[in-house]
Amino acid sequence: MKRYGARLLTDGALLVVAAFMFAPFLWIISTSLRLPQNSFDLPPAILPTTFNFDNYGEVFKRVPLLAFMLNSLKVAGLIVIGHVFISSMAAYAFARLSFPGKNAIFLIFLSGLMIPGQVTIIPQFILLSKLDLVDTHAALILPALINPFGIFLIRQMMMTISPSYEEAAFIDGAGRVRGYLNVILPMSVPVIAMTSVMTFIAHWNDFFRPLIFLNTAEKMTLPIGMTVLNGQFGAGNLSAILAGVTITLIVPMLFYIFGQKYLIEGIAGGGLKV
Amino acid sequence: MRMRRSVKDGFAGYLFLFPALLLFIVFVAEPLVVSVYLSFTQYNVITPHRWTGIDNLRQFWHDQRLGLMYGNTLKYVLILVPMHMILGLLLALGATRGISSRWKYFYRTAYYFPVLVTSAAVAVAWSFIYDNDFGVLNYLLGLLGIERIPWLQSPKWVYLAVAIYSFWKFIGNAFLYYVIGLQNIPRTLYEAAEIDGASAAQSFFRLTLPMLSPTIFFVLVTTLIGATQIFDEPYLITGGGPGDASRSVNMYIYEVAFQHHEMGYASLVSISLFLIILLVTALQFRFSRQWVSYNQE
Repeated sequence: MKRYGARLLTDGALLVVAAFMFAPFLWIISTSLRLPQNSFDLPPAILPTTFNFDNYGEVFKRVPLLAFMLNSLKVAGLIVIGHVFISSMAAYAFARLSFPGKNAIFLIFLSGLMIPGQVTIIPQFILLSKLDLVDTHAALILPALINPFGIFLIRQMMMTISPSYEEAAFIDGAGRVRGYLNVILPMSVPVIAMTSVMTFIAHWNDFFRPLIFLNTAEKMTLPIGMTVLNGQFGAGNLSAILAGVTITLIVPMLFYIFGQKYLIEGIAGGGLKV
Repeated sequence: MRMRRSVKDGFAGYLFLFPALLLFIVFVAEPLVVSVYLSFTQYNVITPHRWTGIDNLRQFWHDQRLGLMYGNTLKYVLILVPMHMILGLLLALGATRGISSRWKYFYRTAYYFPVLVTSAAVAVAWSFIYDNDFGVLNYLLGLLGIERIPWLQSPKWVYLAVAIYSFWKFIGNAFLYYVIGLQNIPRTLYEAAEIDGASAAQSFFRLTLPMLSPTIFFVLVTTLIGATQIFDEPYLITGGGPGDASRSVNMYIYEVAFQHHEMGYASLVSISLFLIILLVTALQFRFSRQWVSYNQE
């Protein structure tokens, strides 16, 4: 009996928290479907009662939301592509090749993980402004291409691949470049997919760096564009603002549905081996 | 033959490493050195920098606003770190019990999904949820007969507002780490404990907690570093207000560097925050030997 009560209590608490997690999403979506003049009305909408989709049209008319999303896609996408090659090449060197200073360089890379963004951002800003790259997407992409965490994860995985695969290719006359491209890289696809998903989400959602580097509206990425959206409508039309917020939920939802396997493996595989 | 391969390998090694090494030097190593140098200068990006020696350091010691920001940041640490560590663990324990995998999936989705959504977007929505007159939260509290709470207007409540948002947005991180850690504890150990007549409490304190200690340590280190560097949450929800009541050190660095363009002083403040994080993290690793057990197979 006592055990039954405890179980009921646990289930109840877990469900209450789950409801608390879902409720803001329901409120955001329901309110986005209200008529603008009713957007602030109480009681708040948890389930949609009206289905006024005009707010969605209004958002796209007033704010270049689609352009923001394309900018985010471009920035995060190029970072992921660059990261795949740069990180996997470095990981290959650390995992499969021997050269003087290898361990020292690897340790320096790892200690780079400890340096917080706000320490490096000021000199990066100065450097990028001297190169005339402030207010360009390059300012967001270039510094993000170095990702010690990604290098670390891919290296861990590459070290588990048996050398015999590559040796077979060497006998056939392959060099290191072909060993990397034709043997090791294809075998590392799972870990690369995993770090790519993590990298994409981190940069899709990044707020701090675009806040510092971007000024013009056409170049803004989605997170920084959201502050523009908020400013555009002021406190006048909450429904339209929340229509914009609802649109931003689509990409994370797709990532959760299709990428969660990689995300969870990434956290399980790399995160806990500090 | 052997010799030739290793020499060739050495050359290839540097070649493969070259792009990463170049980017690391340009965007990580060099900025760190420049940051230290800038701390002793006055620089607004437009006119050439001026060496001012320890002037910035003197300003640092007498900066009362900075003292306040460090106090605020400490408050964030003291509220957010225990919250994520304890509530994340409780949720993970609940969601990994002997329940069907369908329920496990449901809980994982509910708790983890907010982590993935764009902070800047949902924070906009949350700032309306906290609205004094039209906000959902005060409306719901009203139904329970509780008076309106000035969530974003009171220096005290504003911390609870950030904490509730932080729970909603980020508890999934700690939760998922704990879930993975708990799933890695072999079932057979629990069965053995049960055969030996261990109570639920005993098996939790003697088995679950020690086996989970590496995960707990990892969550502690990462949430502490995260809370010390807090920026997005107060920036987007409270704007640092009312007044400076919820402004963090990181928000102050942003303000000094990118709104007042005092790159020198901002660099010094950022270095001070870095050194504190480094020290606290080193201490955590030092003391972790006493309670974290890695040799468990």
